[in-house]
Amino acid sequence: MDIIVCVKRVPDTNEADIQISGNFINTKGLPFDVNEWDKYAVEEAVRLKEKYGGTVTAITIGDSESDDALRRAFATGADAAVRVSDDIFNGSDAVASAKILAGAISDIKHDLVLFGAQASDDGYGATGQAAAAILGLPYASLVIKLEADNGKIRATRELEAGMNEVVELPLPALLTIQSGINEPRYISIMGIRKASSKEIKVLSAGEISVNTAEIGNNSGTKTEKLFLPPVLKQTEFLTGSVDEIAVKLAQILKDKGGTF
Amino acid sequence: MSGIFVVAEHRKGVLRDITFEMLKKGRELAGASGESLTALVIGKNTGAFAERIAASADTVIAIDDPKLENFNGEIYQNILSAIIDEHKPLLIMIGHTAAGMDFAPGLAAAKNIAITTDCVDLKLDGQKLTAVRQLYSGKINAEISFKPAESYIVTLRSGIFPPEPSGTSGKLLSAACPDFPESAKRFIEYIEAATGTVDITQADVLVSVGQGIGDVKNIPMMEAFAQALGASLSCSRPVVDRKWLPQERQVGSSGKTVKPKVYLAVGISGAFQHLTAVKADIIIAVNKDPRAPIFNIADYGITGDLLQIIPKLQDAVLKLKGGN
Amino acid sequence: MDFEFNNEQRDIQKAVREFAEAEMSREYMLELDRTSTYPADLLKKACDLGFLCIDIPEKYGGVGYGLTEKAIVFEELCRMGAGVGMSLGGSCFGLKVLLNSGTEEQKNRILPRACSGEGLPFSGAFTEPDKGTDIVTFPLGTTAVRKGGKYIINGTKTFITHADISKYVILLCQTDTNAKPSYKGQTTFILENPLDKPGYTVSSFEKMGWQTSHTTQISFSDFELPAENIVGKENQGFYNVMSFLTEFRIETAAAGVGMAQGVYEKAVNYAKTREAFGQKIGKFQSISHKIADMATKIETARLLLYKAAAIFDTKHDVPPHISSMAKWYGARMAVEVADDAMEIFGGHGYIIENDVARFYRDTRMLELVEGTREAQKNTIAASILGRLD
Repeated sequence: MDIIVCVKRVPDTNEADIQISGNFINTKGLPFDVNEWDKYAVEEAVRLKEKYGGTVTAITIGDSESDDALRRAFATGADAAVRVSDDIFNGSDAVASAKILAGAISDIKHDLVLFGAQASDDGYGATGQAAAAILGLPYASLVIKLEADNGKIRATRELEAGMNEVVELPLPALLTIQSGINEPRYISIMGIRKASSKEIKVLSAGEISVNTAEIGNNSGTKTEKLFLPPVLKQTEFLTGSVDEIAVKLAQILKDKGGTF
Repeated sequence: MSGIFVVAEHRKGVLRDITFEMLKKGRELAGASGESLTALVIGKNTGAFAERIAASADTVIAIDDPKLENFNGEIYQNILSAIIDEHKPLLIMIGHTAAGMDFAPGLAAAKNIAITTDCVDLKLDGQKLTAVRQLYSGKINAEISFKPAESYIVTLRSGIFPPEPSGTSGKLLSAACPDFPESAKRFIEYIEAATGTVDITQADVLVSVGQGIGDVKNIPMMEAFAQALGASLSCSRPVVDRKWLPQERQVGSSGKTVKPKVYLAVGISGAFQHLTAVKADIIIAVNKDPRAPIFNIADYGITGDLLQIIPKLQDAVLKLKGGN
Repeated sequence: MDFEFNNEQRDIQKAVREFAEAEMSREYMLELDRTSTYPADLLKKACDLGFLCIDIPEKYGGVGYGLTEKAIVFEELCRMGAGVGMSLGGSCFGLKVLLNSGTEEQKNRILPRACSGEGLPFSGAFTEPDKGTDIVTFPLGTTAVRKGGKYIINGTKTFITHADISKYVILLCQTDTNAKPSYKGQTTFILENPLDKPGYTVSSFEKMGWQTSHTTQISFSDFELPAENIVGKENQGFYNVMSFLTEFRIETAAAGVGMAQGVYEKAVNYAKTREAFGQKIGKFQSISHKIADMATKIETARLLLYKAAAIFDTKHDVPPHISSMAKWYGARMAVEVADDAMEIFGGHGYIIENDVARFYRDTRMLELVEGTREAQKNTIAASILGRLD
């Protein structure tokens, strides 16, 4: 089974005080990592390869800094990697990104294409499904379990409130992978060593099948400005020593909660 | 070109709240811009849905076909594609849900219509649409504009707009189901949520733990604390993803919606999928990061090391209890 | 001159950090420390990921990177683990003597077992009760006497890490008691599963910190060893051990930088969140300047560490004074940074669960192992001043 998995390098803003500058956030000093959902997708791709044979190719959009994400895919077990990189990609929205990725995917032999269900930065949760439509592939989104059998994929989709839905798709197909589908492995030093000898293929807009009039700043949508979310509720922060805070909070639980 | 269309969402014979939430917002936009509001309901036996929806829309188009018994995103895309061609709506609103997320992006890509997803607000000024959505798990909001075009698609976040009917008596239209090619995707079955041993939806007090507790080894400590407080232990999604607690304990859109008197969130940063499922009288949050979105909904906040705070809090609670 | 890690090195740092942050939580580290438990589970996981034998050639089951990469791993393990990191890294103590001086047969047989973790921990038994660091002035009290195809070993080795559980021990013995100078009569041997053999007794010391590794004393009483277990040439053992220790001091420097980084981060976090006298304590200059000093010291030690490692990787050798500088300063700096962290935490630093105390205790060990600060300064001074007879 030849599998393509799309990955994205994202800043980790977990404990960061995000600074806005224009239409971007200031990522200086922030650690970067592979989008969490993509880690699950890469792990799933490598597991399928280990089980059924074939190859795994990782694809990303970005400048050379995004090679981090591809090297990590190599270290996990990917066989090949492609980075599509062009200044005219800047400003692409979810559908435009899907068009760029689909352009790269269509030139590579594939039985299965995996995307993370969403990215932790812009959180569209849309790129994979849009790419499926562009590529004309059957697809399933939010997959939390999958089994391959005889040219078919049986995928369990996560719905709301703990309910799941099972669907069956013929290959080739595209899936977007939800977190929790597996436990992504740790990166080994052997994997890093192997990755170091592998080459990342870099393709510009002219080298993939994409209409540049529909991507980048020609995307259907544009981010006009970023701003901090309005405060919905004035939180009363408890201060003092740990002991003082504990006593105050216990009293609140007793008075307001009436819990004991 | 004109008209606001809302794609109704239903599953297993039940209309979902998001339908009315979208109609509420759609009505507001329609009122401000003079557009009409049309609801689309696609499925098998959609008549009853259409009648209910008529109280919130100017027109309801119901497509009723036995082949549409189970949801299939590809078929939705085909049907909506034909409807868009016929009606050329200005705005198509779809839920940012497991169903809406499934078909909306592909519909937009296939029709080359601009889309933005997971919107928390929309503004329509004449034909000019602006959307507000969130980035970085709710830490930043973004204002999104659309390139001028005939139509736009948006998906709306659940739980943002109140699902109230607007009291209209909309026109009911039943439309023939457009032809669509057979989908390669086959529905197999629904799997209901496993019934667990603990029902967190019935708890008066919940101690809810997130990734911030750091280690599965801290679960027993949190359990002991919950017990001291007379609370049940629940959690956020990352805790389930890491297999620290079973899925039956998960609070969130893919887990359970809870409505306790007191919700004590410990080490939960507060992704919207989590926040939307917490309907508590009082929310208390303990988190290392003072900028965590959980503090946007918390009544009381404590920033600091939860592993230090929780044992002290347990002591303080036991002391107060002893005093009774 | 390039002061940045290359891509592979950054990937290694990230991989180990991700592992350490997930697997070496404060609670787990405190539990291991409290119960004086050797981190066997972590060792297995770290070996499976190639962390510990990163610098052993691939043909022997390692990954074939250099000392720089080893230092990166060690730094990250100690950042989360303090002494637990040292227990992991120290589990390979002595291994390089075998790599550098052993026969192909010995290396092919033993190194793959070590790299898989099955053959770990390794111990190096060099120090003796009445001699300490000085193995030069007098003949060693532990002797190996050839008898047919065997050596008979008698004597006592002390301050030996992990000998209560180690699978292999590199042992330094006096084989020629008449050699002048005496160190030219010393030989290294490899002991295989010595705990199963007669004439080998191990006792443990209680110590101030570094609870996850047991520090022991080995008594040999007519302990028999096949002659083929000699490592390197007879009477060349001193040189084998010296070149090994010169290299290992760089790893200890990495432990110092890692532990300092770990406790420094705790202090920074505390200074940013703890309030006193109506403000975050980080606003007080006495705290903020302390943090600036800590950061500067860590960075200084790190530069020295990676300079020493880079020299070793390029030249396959490092001048002893460079390795000694990295070691004593890295260890001293770690002690000072842990002390500063304790001061910033105030009384809370003295409370075990805040995990500053463990760093405080464990960093102190770094100054004492493989030669104290004073011993390192002797080496450095000798390289500058010569003998001054």
